[in-house]
Amino acid sequence: MKILVTVKEVAEAADDFEIEGTDIGEQYLEYDLNEWDDYAIEAAVQLSETYGDIEVVSATIGPERSEETIRMALAKGVDRAIRVWDDDIAAADLDVAAKTRLFAAVVDEEEPDLVLSGVQAADDGFGATGVSVADEIGFDWAAVVNHLDTEDDLSTAHVHRELEGGIEELTDVDLPAVLTIQTGLNEPRYASLRGIRQAQSKEIAAFGLADLGLDADAVDSPISRTGMYEPETESDATYFDGAADEQAAQLADVLREKGVVSE
Amino acid sequence: MLDYVGLEADLSAEEKLIRDTAREFVAEEVAPDIADHYEAGTFPTDIISEMGELGFYAPNLEGYGSPNVSERAYGLLMQELEACDSGLRSMASVQGALVMYPIHAFGSEAQKEEWLPALGQGEAVGCFGLTEPEHGSNPSGMETRAERDSAEGTSADPSEVVASEDADGFVLNGEKTWITNSPIADVAVVWAKLTSDDGSPVRGFLVETDRDGVETPKIEDKLSMRASVTGGIVLDDVRVPEENILPDVTGMKGPLSCLTQARYGIAWGAVGAARDCFETAREYQTDREQFGGPIARFQIQQEKFAEMATQITLAQLLAYRLADLKERGDLRPQQVSMAKRNNVRMARDQARVAREMLGGNGITTDYSPMRHLSNLETVYTYEGTHDIHSLILGEDLTGLSAFS
Repeated sequence: MKILVTVKEVAEAADDFEIEGTDIGEQYLEYDLNEWDDYAIEAAVQLSETYGDIEVVSATIGPERSEETIRMALAKGVDRAIRVWDDDIAAADLDVAAKTRLFAAVVDEEEPDLVLSGVQAADDGFGATGVSVADEIGFDWAAVVNHLDTEDDLSTAHVHRELEGGIEELTDVDLPAVLTIQTGLNEPRYASLRGIRQAQSKEIAAFGLADLGLDADAVDSPISRTGMYEPETESDATYFDGAADEQAAQLADVLREKGVVSE
Repeated sequence: MLDYVGLEADLSAEEKLIRDTAREFVAEEVAPDIADHYEAGTFPTDIISEMGELGFYAPNLEGYGSPNVSERAYGLLMQELEACDSGLRSMASVQGALVMYPIHAFGSEAQKEEWLPALGQGEAVGCFGLTEPEHGSNPSGMETRAERDSAEGTSADPSEVVASEDADGFVLNGEKTWITNSPIADVAVVWAKLTSDDGSPVRGFLVETDRDGVETPKIEDKLSMRASVTGGIVLDDVRVPEENILPDVTGMKGPLSCLTQARYGIAWGAVGAARDCFETAREYQTDREQFGGPIARFQIQQEKFAEMATQITLAQLLAYRLADLKERGDLRPQQVSMAKRNNVRMARDQARVAREMLGGNGITTDYSPMRHLSNLETVYTYEGTHDIHSLILGEDLTGLSAFS
């Protein structure tokens, strides 16, 4: 059995940054493993530890720099990694559809039984790639999974999905499937020093568009970024002083005044 | 953290990951509670096995489950641990450099197999018994003694047949003090004079702390290194079997070689404590406003930043050089003495400056510098006092020993 985990290296802006053109200046950015993907990696590695005989492969779309992040995934127990990148991809504004085509091609190549992705990426936050990939490759899927159990023969995943308003949906998904993993599903491990050492000799295979049977059209996008600005933040906070009952009375007045509650 | 001349940019990918993992672990699992532990005078014992699982104890050794990382990676690890608290780094130093190292270097195959994986995983805790109440800087004057013991002498009672399996063992008597972790240790590496041998040579013994006659009283009321457990080891006719002696070392070079390993880690760790002080002061001073702006804009403060950053950078360079020498096997103990002496003094001095830069807020547990400052009083004094390292260097530089 094989699990493919899609992993993204996300940019994090410094507290004080400047916008240059349509992006945040490179000097203000630091890169790290996407938090949601960390949970997806942990889920995959735990399945592999529970069942044995499961290969965990990570797939990343990203430049050579992202190998540092990929190594962290390898140190945590991923068996090998795939990194998709070339000049055409670097020149493109990657939208969800383009990423979907790239990952779908990786799935064709690897034929995994289960694809795990983080719910969303911490930087652009589209939250769409996992489900979009499922649609493209024709797998069943479940999004925003915060609890995962599997049948002993790994034919079915019993999942809890986090919906709006604190509601959880309990669903069974037959494999092969795509699950997008929510934070809190598990407790991601720290890489051990032994794991870090072993990661240095694990394979990171570099694939370009041609290796995946694609051409530059695959990363063509009808979407382009036209501007970037920092929204004005309006501070509209009210502080209530006094003992708890006094604060509660003041809060009640405000809620009534704003029409949140009736008299 | 401050890396003014970009030393960390040249680290290998593996070393960067080790640094990042240690930093993340410390920030998430230890740092949030360390001030509370400091106040309460307790060590966060729940992280002992976690640190073991991560491979934080003697990761630079070879075999027996050790990840066998570079000396620089080991140094970086010590630096990250001590950036949190000297007590945390001390835990790893003692377990790794003072307990696992001598077993690895001087132990029998059976000792290595019994203890190294368990200590490495943090399933067992070790301590190192060298210092005595009357013998601190001059450990070779130690009074703790071991004598060869024979079965005939002790098992007069025929019901003690089991004990007679310990025939040809040793009986230990004496007292050790200032022993990091002794109250929570499962095993102590005890250095004692084997008086039944010619010349009473110093030998190392593995003494399980649950043996009859062993007590490990805790030292209370420390004003420094409070998030670290310190105690004594009292040995009252403690019988250990023959197989508990470290077979491959005789004389003071046994304990002294362990100390060289530990001091190497201290030279790195002190830089971590100083960097944490620097960053805390920088964050505070760029944020804190007086007279209509951040106090870091004042020249009198900027001079402190400049000096602090320079001293930290120089100490950091020394630590990196030591790593290269150690990696290729050329590191001399005197060079480690220089680095321990310089880097701990530097950290102690800069911690005081950082505390000062935090104004009144700096005296609370909300900020790390005063905790570091107080911890560093211990680090300045243990593992060879600052002054003793001066004399080691003095002898090395002049050929004249101040000790004799």
